[in-house]
Amino acid sequence: MHLLFKYKTMTKKIHTLLFLSMITISGCNEFLSETPDNRAKLDSKEKIAELLVSAYPEANYIPFCEAMSDNVEDNFGGTQDVTNADPYFWRDGAATWQDSPEFYWNGCYTAIAAANHALRAIEQSEDPAFFNAQKGEALLARAYTHFMLVNLFAHTYNTQTSDTDPGIPYVTDPETVSLKTYERKTVQYVYEMIEKDLTEGLPLINDQEYGGDGNNASNIARFHFTRAAAHAFASRFYLFKRDYDKVIEHANWVLNGNDISSAMRPWTSTYRTYTTNELSIAYTRSTEKANLLLCETQSDWGSTFRSFRYSTGAGRIDEITIQNNPAADHYAYSSYYTNTGIYFIYKFRQHFVRIGTNSTTGYPYTILPLFTVEEVLLNRAEAYAMQTQFHEALDEINVFISNRVLNYNPEIHDVTFNRLYNLYQENDNKKAIVRAILELRRIEFLHEGLRWFDILRHRIPVTHTTHDGQVMELRPDDPRRILQIPAEAISVGGLEPNPR
Amino acid sequence: MKKTGYGQLKVWSVLNKIILVMKIWLFLMIPLGVAMAGTAHSQNVTIALKDVTVRQALHALERESGYSFFYNDSFEDLNKNVSITAQNEPLGTVIGRLLDRTALTHKFLEGKLIVIVLRDVEEKVKVKGQVIAGDTKETLPGVNVTVKGTTRGTITNANGEYTLEVDQGVTLVFSFVGYLTTEVIVSSETVINIALQVDAKTLNEVTVVSTGYQEMDKRLFTGSAVTLAAKDIKTEGTVDLSRMLQGRAAGVSVQNVSGTFGAAPKIRVRGATSITGDNKPLWVIDNVVLEDVVNISAEQLTTGDPNTLIGSSVAGLNADDIESITVLKDASATALYGARAKDGVIVIKTKKGRVGKPQITYTGNFSTYLKPSYDNFNILNSVDQMSVYSEMERKGLLNHSDMSMLPNGGVYKKMYDIINDSFNEETDEYELLNTPEERRAYLRRYALANTDWFDLLFKNSFVQEHSLGLSSGTEASQLYFSASYYNDNGWTIADNVDRYTLNARGTFKLSDKVSFGLTANGSSRVQRVPGTIAREVNVVEGMYNRDFDINPFSYALNTSRVLTAYDETGNLEYFTRNYAPFNIMHEVNSNYIDLNLLDLRLQGDFSYQVTRDLKYEFVGAVRDVRTTTEHKVEEASNMAEAYRADDTQVIRQGNKFLYYNPDFPNLDPVVVLPEGGFYNRSDDQMRSYYLKNQLNWDHKFNSRHNLTVVAGQEIRLVNRQNSYSNGYGYQFNKGGLAFTDYLIIKQLLEGNFQYFGMGYTRERYASFYAGANYSWNDKYVFNTTVRMDGSNRLGESRTARWLPTWNVSAAWNLDTEAFMKDIRAIDFFTLKAGYGLTANVGNATNSSVVYRSGTTPRPHFEETESQIIIEGLENQDLTWEKQYETNIGLSAGFLNKITLTLDYYRRNHFDLISVIKTSGIGGEPYKAINYADMKSRGVDLSVGTTVLDHRGLNWTSNFVFSFNKSRITNLKNLPRIYNLVFQDGGAQQGYPVRGLFSIDFQGLDPETGIPNFIDHNGNVGTDVYLQSLNTQYLKYEGPVDPTVTGGFSNTFRYKDFSLNVFLTYQAGNKIRLNPAFKSAYSDLDAMPREFLDRWILPGDEQYSNVPAIPDLANLAALGATYPYNAYNYSSERVADGSFIRMRTIALTYDFPARLLSGTTFSNASISLTGTNLWLLYADKRLYGQDPEFFTSGGVALPVARQVTLSVKLTL
Repeated sequence: MHLLFKYKTMTKKIHTLLFLSMITISGCNEFLSETPDNRAKLDSKEKIAELLVSAYPEANYIPFCEAMSDNVEDNFGGTQDVTNADPYFWRDGAATWQDSPEFYWNGCYTAIAAANHALRAIEQSEDPAFFNAQKGEALLARAYTHFMLVNLFAHTYNTQTSDTDPGIPYVTDPETVSLKTYERKTVQYVYEMIEKDLTEGLPLINDQEYGGDGNNASNIARFHFTRAAAHAFASRFYLFKRDYDKVIEHANWVLNGNDISSAMRPWTSTYRTYTTNELSIAYTRSTEKANLLLCETQSDWGSTFRSFRYSTGAGRIDEITIQNNPAADHYAYSSYYTNTGIYFIYKFRQHFVRIGTNSTTGYPYTILPLFTVEEVLLNRAEAYAMQTQFHEALDEINVFISNRVLNYNPEIHDVTFNRLYNLYQENDNKKAIVRAILELRRIEFLHEGLRWFDILRHRIPVTHTTHDGQVMELRPDDPRRILQIPAEAISVGGLEPNPR
Repeated sequence: MKKTGYGQLKVWSVLNKIILVMKIWLFLMIPLGVAMAGTAHSQNVTIALKDVTVRQALHALERESGYSFFYNDSFEDLNKNVSITAQNEPLGTVIGRLLDRTALTHKFLEGKLIVIVLRDVEEKVKVKGQVIAGDTKETLPGVNVTVKGTTRGTITNANGEYTLEVDQGVTLVFSFVGYLTTEVIVSSETVINIALQVDAKTLNEVTVVSTGYQEMDKRLFTGSAVTLAAKDIKTEGTVDLSRMLQGRAAGVSVQNVSGTFGAAPKIRVRGATSITGDNKPLWVIDNVVLEDVVNISAEQLTTGDPNTLIGSSVAGLNADDIESITVLKDASATALYGARAKDGVIVIKTKKGRVGKPQITYTGNFSTYLKPSYDNFNILNSVDQMSVYSEMERKGLLNHSDMSMLPNGGVYKKMYDIINDSFNEETDEYELLNTPEERRAYLRRYALANTDWFDLLFKNSFVQEHSLGLSSGTEASQLYFSASYYNDNGWTIADNVDRYTLNARGTFKLSDKVSFGLTANGSSRVQRVPGTIAREVNVVEGMYNRDFDINPFSYALNTSRVLTAYDETGNLEYFTRNYAPFNIMHEVNSNYIDLNLLDLRLQGDFSYQVTRDLKYEFVGAVRDVRTTTEHKVEEASNMAEAYRADDTQVIRQGNKFLYYNPDFPNLDPVVVLPEGGFYNRSDDQMRSYYLKNQLNWDHKFNSRHNLTVVAGQEIRLVNRQNSYSNGYGYQFNKGGLAFTDYLIIKQLLEGNFQYFGMGYTRERYASFYAGANYSWNDKYVFNTTVRMDGSNRLGESRTARWLPTWNVSAAWNLDTEAFMKDIRAIDFFTLKAGYGLTANVGNATNSSVVYRSGTTPRPHFEETESQIIIEGLENQDLTWEKQYETNIGLSAGFLNKITLTLDYYRRNHFDLISVIKTSGIGGEPYKAINYADMKSRGVDLSVGTTVLDHRGLNWTSNFVFSFNKSRITNLKNLPRIYNLVFQDGGAQQGYPVRGLFSIDFQGLDPETGIPNFIDHNGNVGTDVYLQSLNTQYLKYEGPVDPTVTGGFSNTFRYKDFSLNVFLTYQAGNKIRLNPAFKSAYSDLDAMPREFLDRWILPGDEQYSNVPAIPDLANLAALGATYPYNAYNYSSERVADGSFIRMRTIALTYDFPARLLSGTTFSNASISLTGTNLWLLYADKRLYGQDPEFFTSGGVALPVARQVTLSVKLTL
């Protein structure tokens, strides 16, 4: 009896306890939902826009693209580094730090993750249309980074094999598990996805959204996909895709209504008056109108472009500016050279972000021009040429040359079929004009890495010679033209490596 | 019948409740009731009766007093004849006397009623007496005196006296910590004096283990724990409680990585348990978890940065307030802490008030720190140093034109500067002619200077510590109050500290069932330390950088003895640092950090005995800590002047404290601090709350089965905030007027730094736990615990935030077995085993995606914008860091002389957080995820013996030994060379948590004397790329953390004297020697004596491993390689970490009672303690380098040698 009573009161007590603990547990989840620190929350349009600031790769493709290309040679005595030597010898480097292919791979996917998180936040918002401009920017940034990756780490696009050539993972969802595997699909698939994002995102872009009421809106806008930058990207994309009508269409958007000459870099005027310090600041600054899209990258290129052993030297400068120069005169670019024979145009400047206010160590940053007016102009010229609109192509070339030689005189400097034939010994007008355009691109974008993509697109063979006379050739079908997928992307990410 | 019974029971229950209510009500009325009773009893009567009956006497009293008496008229004794006289005496006394010889007694009732009843049949005896200690003959306050078989009893007062009214024939039980429990049967005598004998079994350990949740009988405790009484481990003169644990508890390693006040030692309970986590034990004070003000990991403790001074959890505690410390070591002991217990728990119990008359204790400590001396270090004297400089001069290293452009310089630079500038136009003469004779004459003074920097920068400081404690109490309420003051006027000329603490604690027993406690304590600290900024790691060259370091210890070790502090006329003499004049004496006075700390804690406890078995307990606490760190850099300091050095173009282009303005790309850098100095302030605040509700159920079945169940719930909440603000151009000598050049702000913003900022962390924990302990006949004990912890630290995900932990354990008290009864030699013998899971939150908080705001690293101000980066992608797999621990333990006592505790444990650590390289495709190339594994094992041993107890001489001895070894079994991190070779070591699979690796030294180059190594590619050469990931060519030296630690304490007692000699030791680890080598030395550098053996001529490489001072040609050939820095991290620069230290020697004299009898003091003692006096053994290669101390500059100082005079008085 005694026990029974005890049992009853105890069950009663237990029930009360259970009830109380139920309340506390549900209260607990509320209690434990406090954010542990001052991390940000994506709860406004402004913050989604801020997340998109990091949707551009903070990594540099130029150092290895330049070193793989035919812009460089062996300048014995220059600074040695594997991020320079490995690509010169077209080796799969093990470097993972700044200016290595793997670092660029990681930088691109980090940018893609930012775009994807922004897109996810927009999707989950109550009124996604309110965030259209941000959606546009995110789609463009995602398309651009995948575009750069697929061209470096997979076969160059071509209509015959791209539907079977392995691509790179096109990531559209935020990663949520500790270690995830991915698949490469095909180059064709990646291009379709890029085009989808590009065409969906481009009309949503709204230049007014960059900076808003700030005084420095225009400066900041240069670091984002504005309409102009988006069309510039489209012109590059369709050039790679060989869809020349679209190249012209998008290039027109950028160039129309502009006095092209005044939009181009003033090599023949203002730049001539600059000291090296001034030029290096102006070249990648937002006040330079020719810069359509700028991006800060964690990179040492701001100092190594003029010191690396495998860089542009006397031989290549002669080849580029004299032997293959379609302009029939010296260019107005002011170049310098070092005692180790390195020739350079002072385009870059290192921005050194110290780890403490006065420390001597820190991280080097370099600002890159991702898209320029010059590229769009030359993209359109190439598209004209490919579509056999030779006169339009020549006009474009001559506009370009008029801003790149001193004391421009159309009589002397304008490119003609005849001169091109003499220069390149090429009968086919189309090939000759394209050759001229590629050479102009080569000098205009020297130290900027774009030559490597021209080499890929036009299957140009590359020859590298070493200091002691060893000659190496990279033929159009050489598998080493495609960068190897990073080791952990293979082992952890489950990707197929590229053949070697 | 049944029904009735049921009904009766119910009624009884209600009645019971009413009684309870009444008792509470009674309690509330007590003050009032006492007042009423007071008036009633103060009634006085005057009466004179002779030979009357008691009945008649009562009648007389009724008339006299106006009171009415009630009694049963049939009481025989009413008819007894009595005589009584009283002259204005209290009524109660008179009645008492009247009934004294009868079997009757009286009671006052309300309303002037007095009832006369029969006395109890059995006689009550009033027993009193005094309890003294059998060994020291001191009186023992606080001894428990209880009536056997009941809960009735009392506690002896301050003089060891007790009084108790008991029935005849009962047994009194006298029990006290550390003494054998004694029983005495009460017969007729009313004075029972007892001398309690020391219990050899509990020489080091008490019989109760406090886990912070429960007070467990040691015999029923199945976990591994060490309990230390504060009086046993208290080291006079040592302020920080955590340092006192060194060598005292097996399994606990304490390394004094810095001796500066407020800097916590590196404490590890049974070794490290995490690769990336903090590895710090949990501190619990009076059952409440003590949160750290700032989170500083064990590794950060060695940086010497100012925030290490607020890193010690217990720096605000007065050591005299501590009663005992319990270290909970294994999973069973810490089980109730569940997911926070992985690194062990240290439970502190503070003192409570004691029953008895007020007792006041005073402790005064007067210490002095001894100056360090060059005798202990191998530093060149000024003559030898000057001869090295002249070799450097010959090699073209100290040449005239280069020196005048250098940012730093000593006597040579000064000489050249005088030669350059000293032309006097009026006299047409040079102060110093550039001739070899004049130069030699000039340098001669310095060569003979032999400056003793230690003497100049250090003092035999005076440290005083006063602590006053007051304890008082009755059965119902006890109060403890203490206040202390600590003042250290500084071991160096750059530091001092003072601290007040206050502690008030009251415990109140409101009724038999309800008790209540309230504690408030606070401390305030004001401290000055040398000005310093955070240390940076230069991974390019392989060294630590700290601009403007003026740490006196580092300065004395690293500064040439050729330099002088005063010139010939006695004025301060300046040399050059950062292109600006520098004198250390001047600098420490104009560049300093003021630290202010205020710490307040309030705690309330409540307990309610619901039934005889069930008890409810509540604990609530709140703590508030505010600290301010003000770095004051006055305008005349070298640090401020360095920002203004722009005399020549060479200086302008070389001075990194000037600003290169990108708006004027062709101009030299400019000064951005034209006036004033710096006022840089940092504020750390912490507020924490703690709440606990707990039910204890303790039941004994059939007197053999004992079951204890505990269940509860707790909540912890911690808010921390750090803010900083840097003031540029503060003018200290102009009343604090700020003069800020906007360019300095522009410079900062362009460099992506903010001049002010604020950050916070918020921790929330909720936990539910339950535990059961079953014992059969105190012979077999089984224990199990489960706990569920929730935390917000992992991030927003609701699944990751909860973690259950559990534990099972058992103990077998072998000595209670029949077969052991006859073995007389064995006093007690217990075997224990336990297995369980504990955990800790790791350093990853991304259970959902973590966004972090920042600004873009762009060079131009107008291009900069805010950005949000993804700091961590969502990780659904994120969980707590965990470990399974198996513990097997044995504790035994032999011959009433020897006690032994031995534990063996294995730990299986898993789900440890470490960084792993991923595919990068998700957008986070390096992720911190739970994948790493580690195994560790170890032995804790402690032995206590009474070696000798003969003719008043008593010698007891305690030996503590801990062994711990860990091995990482799965780790895919990618360390670079510099991660592994620096003094803190690094983690790699197959090695301990912190392994020290070395660059493999391969002798000196026969032609140049430059060191060669096996480089990162496996080739022999001078160029080791410290950022290389190729770590396979490094040489493994050993763990950074000692594998063996312990202590050996001996106490000799003869009459009133006692002497304690305490040694600590460690072994098994390797130490990186202080970096002493550079490729280029300046005329400021002090050089170690090894330099006398350096390579000078080809062929020397066969006898010497000390590299040459490279000449200019060799220096140029080195280019951008750093073989000398590599040498600092080579296999040549490693020493063995083993040492034996004379930790303390203390001689105490207790004034005997006969001397004190005439005074007001009940106890007095005086003692002299020497702390940290010398190393009995250490690797000779250390040359005076303290094997515990990391010479990291900043605010770090080694633990000083110290002598303390201590006075203790009890009133």
